[in-house]
Formats: sequence, C-alpha cells, structure tokens
Amino acid sequence: MTESLLEVRGLSKSFDGVPAVEDVSFDLQRAGTLGVVGESGSGKTTLARCILRAIDPDVGTVRFNSENGWTDLHDMKARDLVPLRREMQMIFQDPFSSLNPRMTVRQIIEEPLLVHGQRNRAKRLDEAIHMLELVQLERDSLTRYPHAFSGGQRQRIGIARALVLRPTFVVCDESVSALDVSVQAQIINLLEDLQKELGLTYLFVAHDLAVVRHICDRVLVMHHGRVVETGSVEDVFERPQQNYTKLLLSAIPSPDPDVPLRPLDRQALGL
Amino acid sequence: MTAPVLEIRDLAVEFKTDTGLTRALRNVNFDVPRGEVTAIVGESGSGKSVTANCIMRLIQPPGRITGGSIRFAPTASQAFDIAALEDKDERLLDLRGGHISMVFQEPMTALSPVHNIGGQVAEAILCHREVSKEQAWAEAAQMLAHVGIGDIERRMTMYPFEFSGGMRQRVVIAMALVCNPEVLICDEPTTALDVTIQAEILTLIRNLQDELKNSVIFITHDLGVVAQIADHVVVMYQGRVLEIGTVRQVLKQPVHPYTKGLLKAIPGVVDPGERLATIASVVGDADITTPFPLIKLSDGRQVSLPRGHVPAELKP
Repeated sequence: MTESLLEVRGLSKSFDGVPAVEDVSFDLQRAGTLGVVGESGSGKTTLARCILRAIDPDVGTVRFNSENGWTDLHDMKARDLVPLRREMQMIFQDPFSSLNPRMTVRQIIEEPLLVHGQRNRAKRLDEAIHMLELVQLERDSLTRYPHAFSGGQRQRIGIARALVLRPTFVVCDESVSALDVSVQAQIINLLEDLQKELGLTYLFVAHDLAVVRHICDRVLVMHHGRVVETGSVEDVFERPQQNYTKLLLSAIPSPDPDVPLRPLDRQALGL
Repeated sequence: MTAPVLEIRDLAVEFKTDTGLTRALRNVNFDVPRGEVTAIVGESGSGKSVTANCIMRLIQPPGRITGGSIRFAPTASQAFDIAALEDKDERLLDLRGGHISMVFQEPMTALSPVHNIGGQVAEAILCHREVSKEQAWAEAAQMLAHVGIGDIERRMTMYPFEFSGGMRQRVVIAMALVCNPEVLICDEPTTALDVTIQAEILTLIRNLQDELKNSVIFITHDLGVVAQIADHVVVMYQGRVLEIGTVRQVLKQPVHPYTKGLLKAIPGVVDPGERLATIASVVGDADITTPFPLIKLSDGRQVSLPRGHVPAELKP
C-alpha cells in the first residue's frame, strides 16, 4: 500500500463572506496524480493555494509528509514554512506572465536555489544545466531571455524552475491549458516522464477533462467550493454518481463527428 | 449544387517585421460552401485568424495582402473580389457587420464596457439600416431573446460587467446576427469559456445556423469542437492549407500526416497511461514544410502532398 503525502481535512476559505472553498477533505498518495476539476469559480485554484499556504485558509488542517515526518502546515508561521517550500512547488498556467522578462533563463532557474541559500555559484550553474537537460532544452538557452522562446519552451523553463529544488509535491495549476494541442501533448509526456524519474506527486488543477483523464489516477470534482464527487479517474469518468459530474462529462465535445454533443440541462438536474 | 459564397484563391499575406518579411499566408485556396459550416483548424501561427481578418479586410500595417483574391458572391447582388477593394470603398462598410460579421474569442473585449447591452446591439442595426432608434431597440430586444437571454427589458439596460462570460458571448452573437449576415465568422468563440458553457454556445450557434441558413466559418484549434459543429474542414499549418474535406473525411480518415498527428495528439484518443503522440512522432520523415499544391482526390477532398504520397485508392 502506498503512503499518503498530504492529508487535507475540513478546509474552508471565504473572501469577504463569500465562500470559495467549503469543508474540503482528501488524501493524496505519494507518487500519485490527483486531478481537481470544476468550472471557473468552483474553488479549484483557491484550494490549491490554501494547500500551499499561498493564502491562509479560514479553518481546516493540511498535513504534509515532509522529509522530517508529518508536519501541520496550517498552524505554521510563515518563516517556519520556508524550508518546507523546497518540497512543494507550483507550475503555473500562463508561460508568458509567470516568467520575469528581465531575467535570463539561468537567473530564473537559479533563483529558487539562491532563495534557499545555495551560495555556491558553480553548484547553482550545474543544477541549472542539469534541469535544462531534464526538460529537454538546449544548454545555450541559459543566457537568453523568455521572449526568445515559444509558449511550450517557456512552460519547460517554468517546469525547470519548479523542479530545481527537487520537490516531492508539485501543484500544476492549469499548466497545459494555454498550449496548442501538439505542444500540450509534449508537456504532458514530459510531466509524466519527470514523475516516474523523480517520484513526484502532482495535484493537477484543470478544467479540461480529457487532459485530467489522461494524466491523473484520482479525481476530485468541485462545485461551488465543495467536493461533490471523488474517486479513481476510471470510476468518476465511466460511472459518475453525481448530477454535476454527469453535467460536466456530457459537455465534452467528442472528436468523433458521429458522437453528437448532447449536454445535459442544468435546470433539469436541479443544479 | 449552389455556388460557394466565398472562393479564396492564392491568398497571400505578408507582415513586415524587424527581422524581415513574415509570410503569414501563402497560396491559401479554399471555398466556403453556402449555407453550411466550414471549420478552419490549426495551431497558433497557422494563419487561421489572419485568413478570417482578410475576409473582413481587417489586415492592417505592417501586414498587407500581397496577392490572390477573395470572391464574395452575395445572393442578392453582384459578386466582387474583397481583396481588390480600395480601403475607402463604401462596399467595405456594408460588408463589415452587414454581409459578413464576426464573433471574437474574448467577449469582454468585443463589447464596450461603457455602453449598455441594448444600445450596443441596436447600434449594429443603426449602422447598416435606415430605421428609427425605437425600431432598432425593438429589433435588438428580439434578437437578444432569440439567442436565449431572458428578462430582456431589464438586461438591455445593464452593462457587460454585469453579465457572465457565456451571457456576454450570447450578446456578441446577437450583435453579429442582427443584420442577418450571409457569412458569420466565429474566431475561437468558445475557447475562453467553461466546457459546460461551451456546449451551450455550440448548440446555440448550430441551432441558429440550421434556422437562418447563413454560411459559417468557424475557427478553432479544438478538434472536438470541429467534430460537433462543422460540415467541412480546412486544416492549416504555417500559413498554408494542408487538407480540405468533409468533417468525416478529415477527422475519421485523415490523409495528410500533419492532420493525423493533430488528431493523435488529443488526450482521450489513446488510453490513459499511454504516451500521447506528438505531431513530430506521427509525421516522422514526411515533409510537411514544402508547399505542395493542393491535389483533388477521387473522393472530392483536397490535400497538399507530393503525387507519389497520395494513397492508391484515392488517386485522382
């Protein structure tokens, strides 16, 4: 049996009295990939941010199985979180706005090392070169700026930056949504290869259900900030129990012209 | 067989950039059949949006149309070449929003934030027809009801920020259809929307097209959307047309290696856990960058391949 890397219990967060995430609980297995799906406004991103403590949840607990054993993230001081941040990283959606245009690729990839106290210049450079190989970018990319790269290449740079600290847990927030289908396929393959090679655990936030089905082994369906259904990808996609999940699945257009789109009616389902 | 509403021949567009001339379109050839939905698919940079902008004559410096023709044949008047019109030709004013109108990807930027919804739809009518403001307002209300917006009287005096993304896209569609255009160009109209709202908007566009029988050009990179909305498909890559055919021909029996790659790269086509095919791996050694002229195959489709690479059973 695999062990858990993360335990979330009763997590809630509201903004100005409007609930964004309500009473969310789940476990994340080490080396697994959990998909979080739902429409915009369902609370996917807020949930991801609460887990990483990028924002503070109102109530609830988040326990993380770190190198030094189980740690409660929710009641840690910001300063004490810093060493843990090495183990938890994020890959963002937009490969354009998530990279500083005034920094070279070398500076971008080395920055997390600097933040976490790696003062040895040669070691930083070695790490950066190694990361570039890992994400399949040319070595001469180091001296160039983000504008010189395509969207797919920039996303590789963002992945290199996220992985340079050797995290165990990576949150991918719509990390392939902004990419063309062929580039998307390359990045999905890369994420899967890296997971196998480095034993990564992914929390994969996405609105594209086909992508989630491909890359995840478990999935969490969110609606109005609550988890309405959770289970293995196969169970949820093949045998959805909840009306909201059925609605989402019925809305996916099939690439087969002989499978007509018949979206369910939200009102008729009482949603 | 009625004549196509648009015949695009050898269309070429160039953009002058700091690093030289970029050929955004090279010898683009295809027809838009009257009263049906033609999808243009391709990745970013393939030239699909540039093609749409050419039809509306919205290419601006540093870009320009350097060759070719766009023959537009309205049902009620003389056919003419859109590409050859002077910038000041009055027919362009009739054309844009009148004969041909466009629905853009991002409904928030397509709408004015400082004018109310009713006024914006009514303005489209006032631009093209001699009617009173009251008449235009009444027709706008009718059109908004038609695209599925309820509680019309109140909603018409509201502003875009008070609407959800799906509702705004319905408003943009109402604006585009209010002058009953012969051609409706939809440029990635559902890309910014949630999958559930996308399904509603696709169903709306399809139903309106069935009813109004206008010709639709639907630009998208999503092959699932293509399968659900299109009758015909034009596949573009690097400013060229690689394959043209009916939706079943192109999506179920693609001939061009690039089309095959595009289809195999969609997650959901292979079993979960299997590696996704990338276009490079499917295309392999096949040459997809040399601009071969389109060949008409025995089943009616057209493909840009050297003669030797056409499958034997489809040889013309």
